[in-house]
Amino acid sequence: VPFPDRTDSDPDGTGPTTDGAPALDAPVRVLVADDEEDIRLLVCVAVRKAGCTVVAAVADGAQALLAARAERPDLLVLDVSMPEASGLEVCEQLRADPATAGARVLLLSAGASPDDIARGLAAGADAYLPKPFTVAGLVAQVRTLTVGARA
Amino acid sequence: MTALAERPAAPTEVPPSAAPRRRHAPAALAVVAAAGLAVLVLAPNPTAVVLAVAAVAAAVGELTRRLRAQLAAAAELEVQRRDLLTLGQSTAEELEVATRMMRARAQTMTSVIDAVTEQSIIGTDRDGLIRVWNPGAERMLGLPRAEVVRLRTITDFHAPEELSPDDAPEPDPGARFATLVHGAQEHGSDVRDWTYLTADGRRLTVSVAITPRTDDDGEQAGWNFVGTDMTEARAAERLKDQFVSLISHELRTPLSSILGYLELVLDDEEQPLTDEQRQYLNTVERNAQRLLRLVGDLLFTAQVDAGRFTLQPEDVDLAGIVRAAEETARVTAANRGVALTVDLPAEGLVVRGDALRLGQACDNLVSNAVKFTPAGGEVTLRLRTAWRDADGTVVDSATPSTSPVALLSVSDTGVGIPTGEQGRLFTSFFRASTARRNAVPGVGLGLTITKAITTAHGGTLGVTSVEGRGTTFTLALPLD
Repeated sequence: VPFPDRTDSDPDGTGPTTDGAPALDAPVRVLVADDEEDIRLLVCVAVRKAGCTVVAAVADGAQALLAARAERPDLLVLDVSMPEASGLEVCEQLRADPATAGARVLLLSAGASPDDIARGLAAGADAYLPKPFTVAGLVAQVRTLTVGARA
Repeated sequence: MTALAERPAAPTEVPPSAAPRRRHAPAALAVVAAAGLAVLVLAPNPTAVVLAVAAVAAAVGELTRRLRAQLAAAAELEVQRRDLLTLGQSTAEELEVATRMMRARAQTMTSVIDAVTEQSIIGTDRDGLIRVWNPGAERMLGLPRAEVVRLRTITDFHAPEELSPDDAPEPDPGARFATLVHGAQEHGSDVRDWTYLTADGRRLTVSVAITPRTDDDGEQAGWNFVGTDMTEARAAERLKDQFVSLISHELRTPLSSILGYLELVLDDEEQPLTDEQRQYLNTVERNAQRLLRLVGDLLFTAQVDAGRFTLQPEDVDLAGIVRAAEETARVTAANRGVALTVDLPAEGLVVRGDALRLGQACDNLVSNAVKFTPAGGEVTLRLRTAWRDADGTVVDSATPSTSPVALLSVSDTGVGIPTGEQGRLFTSFFRASTARRNAVPGVGLGLTITKAITTAHGGTLGVTSVEGRGTTFTLALPLD
């Protein structure tokens, strides 16, 4: 089993990290940002089903950036249309900052046109999942993106 | 002398080179007459006198004849002079008529241009200096003709940033004008949106048609700029776009939640549902999916209407697409008691197209066929190569004037479409009376979308139907 099946017992993100390099069996740490609470919770469920830990679940782009700098997650699952800063803007700023440039980014969006997808990937996203997504599809995508994230 | 007498008398018929000779002839005759008279007076010989008298008589006769001829010529000249005078008078009259007509035409042009108050008509010379400024321009841009004509250049009224190439942020007026007329210079005319600046500082989105103007010699004299204020129309278009994308987002978001949480409940292995619960929730899910498709169809129709529908072309095996459509419809067809058969070329049939959109078109045709066919009926999907004439008629064999097409036909033994309604089938929200009578669900977007997708691929969509017997839709896509 590549990922320990842990529940989100550590929502504040003060999670189990050792002083230097993280332990090999440390859970993959995921930040979730979506302004729709129902969707945010659904994404959190899917992330946990994929065996990862949710280190922060926020409702806008500005909070997402703050949390990303504080928590240094392995993966961010970002909604594209959010207040304060869109998922695209968050993604670009993460890529521009060496401290966060290495994180994986999965964008979720109601926009499913090829243009939308191209814009998302141009902003630096690793993957783009159109809404409505299936839980199974999201779980699979999170697993794909986090393979080797802690290796 | 005989030779001279035989010359034609009419001076108009004499070539000009003969004129000097003609003038000398009377003088020669006079010399002959004078010599005859001298002989008559001086000669003592009666024979000489007789000869001299004869000579003088002949000379006088010839002189008289010449004189008469000259008189006739003069009369003829007078006739010609009168003719020319008449001609001159009528030419003058014609000229006056022509001048009057020209003036009337110019007056008509001016009054037409002046009557246009909703469009700006601006004419410039070759350098952009304004020469024509109609009331429409006065009204749109807020300056009277007297303050503009021969005083301002057209680029004064354009948003400067639109006339500045990226590499030259502060271009000279000539370069700005060249940017403005560049499209019309290249293609003979140019229509696009520009931003006009009004006298009171407002910015207007104006659709401007730019054409060159030529003078009477066919030389380019300047440019015409005919503008229509599109500020409100464009704002309405933007609003509609925003509305559509808002609706799309606002409808999709709750549907995402509904479908996502349903999936969690249906797939929860730790708390399995009873069969009844599962059946109810499956109904919820099926209807949520239907709503989702409807939202997608509405959004897509709006994109087609706005001309913002683009294809992602690639090589697509149509046989695979038809097979997928058959799989999608299989369960519904089986539940309805409709037999679904496919007839596909074993080697496949590859077209250039957008796989997603072609799949959508194919799904629409197949699901329609199943939906409109009662239990015990049959739906047949057939894919083959055929040929298309220049006028779009599909034929079974190739000729030099035909081009190959991939032909997908979807035939059913359903309720059919009345002949009178077949022409309106592809109109948004149109539903055939047979659909309404038989309470077949739908909103009337599927065929509109299928037609739009087909057309965007350079294909054609045809229908033959007999009410009560069945319908065949035929989709032809070009094979390159």
